[in-house]
Amino acid sequence: MTFRVGIDFGTSNSGVAVYDGQRVKLLPIDPKNVLPEVVKTILYITRDYRCSIGQEAVETYYRDNVNRQRRYVKQWAGEIDVRGADMHYVRDIYVYVDELKPGRLLQYLKTALRKESYTGTHIFERYYTVGDLAKTYLSLLKHRAEGILGEPIHAVTLGRPVKFSESLEQDHKAEETLRQSAYEAGFKEVDFELEPVAAALDYEQSITKPQNVVIFDFGGGTLDIAVIRLGDPRNRKVYASGGVDIAGSDFDRAIIEKRMLPHFGYGRVKHHPEILEMIHAIPDWMALPELGTPINRNTLAKAIHAGMAPVQLKALEGLIFNDLAFTFYNRVEAGKIDLSSAGATIISLEDKNISLWELYTRHQFETDIQHYLIDVEKVVLDTITESGLEPAEINAVVKTGGSSNIPLFTEMLTRIFGAEKVKGSNTFSSVVAGLAIKAFNHSPLVE
Amino acid sequence: MSFSNKIDEWIKEAETRPESALTIVKLIAKRLRELTGRNEELLAENIALQNGTLVEEYQKRIAHLEYQLDLLKRRFGTDESVLTELPMDSTETSTLSLLVYNAQGRVLRIEINPDVQTLGRITDEMINDSEQPRLLAVQSNEEVLLLFTSGRVSTHALSSIPTVDSGGAWSWEGAALPDEPRAGELLACITPLSRLPLSDFFLQVSRRGCVKKTMTSVAQSILANHYLGKSALQKSDQPFDVTLCQKKDLFAFVTFEGHLIGLDVDGLSYSAEERIRLTSSDYVVGSFMTHSNESMLFVTQTGKVIHRESHSLELSKSPLAKGQALISASRLEQGIRFIGAASVRDEDQIAVLDATGSLNVYLTEAITGAGSIAAGGLILSIGVIQAEGGKRANP
Repeated sequence: MTFRVGIDFGTSNSGVAVYDGQRVKLLPIDPKNVLPEVVKTILYITRDYRCSIGQEAVETYYRDNVNRQRRYVKQWAGEIDVRGADMHYVRDIYVYVDELKPGRLLQYLKTALRKESYTGTHIFERYYTVGDLAKTYLSLLKHRAEGILGEPIHAVTLGRPVKFSESLEQDHKAEETLRQSAYEAGFKEVDFELEPVAAALDYEQSITKPQNVVIFDFGGGTLDIAVIRLGDPRNRKVYASGGVDIAGSDFDRAIIEKRMLPHFGYGRVKHHPEILEMIHAIPDWMALPELGTPINRNTLAKAIHAGMAPVQLKALEGLIFNDLAFTFYNRVEAGKIDLSSAGATIISLEDKNISLWELYTRHQFETDIQHYLIDVEKVVLDTITESGLEPAEINAVVKTGGSSNIPLFTEMLTRIFGAEKVKGSNTFSSVVAGLAIKAFNHSPLVE
Repeated sequence: MSFSNKIDEWIKEAETRPESALTIVKLIAKRLRELTGRNEELLAENIALQNGTLVEEYQKRIAHLEYQLDLLKRRFGTDESVLTELPMDSTETSTLSLLVYNAQGRVLRIEINPDVQTLGRITDEMINDSEQPRLLAVQSNEEVLLLFTSGRVSTHALSSIPTVDSGGAWSWEGAALPDEPRAGELLACITPLSRLPLSDFFLQVSRRGCVKKTMTSVAQSILANHYLGKSALQKSDQPFDVTLCQKKDLFAFVTFEGHLIGLDVDGLSYSAEERIRLTSSDYVVGSFMTHSNESMLFVTQTGKVIHRESHSLELSKSPLAKGQALISASRLEQGIRFIGAASVRDEDQIAVLDATGSLNVYLTEAITGAGSIAAGGLILSIGVIQAEGGKRANP
């Protein structure tokens, strides 16, 4: 027997599920996680190219990296041709490489798929394209799922956002890259379903009569909206779908830019471009780990010695040179999640000269992400308009994805559709459950 | 953003959602408490810096670290540059030696062959000055500390003590004399010293159950002045053992008449303190550090073995406790007396020296299973040979 599974390859979290025609079974794919059915979309590759995902990747990363030793060696990276009017010379380029670095932690793999500028990365001696990274992650996911099911998996229905990218060409390219990665990971059949449509199918299990439903799938990487007619499996219909590149990671970035940077010297350091460059790189999870070079350490040491915001720059040094970036982003994300249920929270990090403590309120958070609210509201209204329905004709608004729990957006939906229509769903499993149903039927579920 | 702006924002949150006010107050109060504590620490440190005590403390720490480095260099018999290149498993090249030493400072060093049960025999008189010989298993690349009854100490590399042939007959005259006791003093004990950099205290126990700990941060001064102290309150008392330990360790000692005392190292005094109420005929015969993954082994003169789990050790809080009785009063009246105790694992071996001078090795699992040791005469002394080649803490 071979299985067909649904895989929600999310920006922050992923999941695998199977459907037997009666009920959906979410696979406990990450037994080390608090929710075993949810696996973090995180990939860790060691120097000897052993790969791990999810909580195992996080634990290996912490064990191997935090507060570790470093040893930088100068390596020839290439050369540049410099041409002028009457001269031409070649200049060698060197980079400092940490030869004790035990591995690379990679997250937001799905975001990388839709970034035109990001084609891949060097991991030690090998170059991994974006497709290679997705393939590695999916093959490990497949392997774990097969371990649980005890049978090979030959087909998969992968979720995809309504829009990987605003550019049609890039959107198509991202889907094809993901499709190819899935084939290379060992799946014989690969098809896709829009994530909000998948979430709708999960919701359909709970209704008894046809409804016009808005799916508000707000995750870590994108916001996807779909207006769908549900309730009659023979007569499902997608009236309209829309999306925008706004989601949880953007809110994390907003918090860091507006609230965290002053702890690392922002506003105190002026006229010092090298240091300002480091400070401005903090919100960029891809750039921060690359800042740990001897030149930067030297620059920071000199500034601290000169008494330039020493407490803040010492904290910056601690953040960069002790591989605390991942911990830092996690603390910010945890603070953001707290604010979905509490009025105030603490974002703190006490380690290696960092003494970060920030009391952060929901009011502050809502102020910081206010400009996103306008964009999100516009996409919701545009999609409703495109569907040809009036808000009053909508019977239910189903929220899914971690960011959909942010009260500011729930209030927005309530304002548009009315409180009684806005319904929650299982934040992390509704999409994957719908994908599993689609995989079982392996035919288009809606027109 | 200025701090006052932040406060304005917190107030706005409280105004928008009054239920948040309580959360904010709680979070700020918690932070205030943390900061108050930290401020107090900083003020104390500032005062210490101003009056110079902290500078002295740092100087002592630096001196202590320098000494530890020196000790490591000597242990590996190499200089600093080579030390950094050493593989972590460099100690694999060392072998395990059993030291048999008497109060006169004579030390027989026997290389242990794990397959041989009978190590050899001492042909001389076994008991001199009412003191029985004692046993200690150590790595051949160890540094050992000799503690004399006067409180004097000296350190020696084990490699400087010649080995004697295993399986032979030995006499004390042929034994090494690394440091001859001075007039009026005897060799109290020998203890391995290489764990000094990883230890917090020297812990001493005297024959009459006085216990004293000394910080290892002053080790350099102790070893330079060759004096650790007696850890005894009465003149007639004398040191029995010294061992290296850490703050969280648990220490135990057992007496001739079978009383067991467990002590939390962290709670012990820096000055000698009597921790057991002993009869005039009773005295300490064995001491050890106990760990959760080990068990306790007690041996009587006649070879009877009492084996207990380490969690059964009751920690004594009062200064003059009676201790846990290992045998009943009737057995005591019958003349049962203890000669040693140790913290062991099943896979460890026990070296046993009996009154005939025979030195034999037994597997712990075997003797705890049998409940006794079949020796040629009364047992005088025991020593633990750890299964990992003596690399566990506190052998």
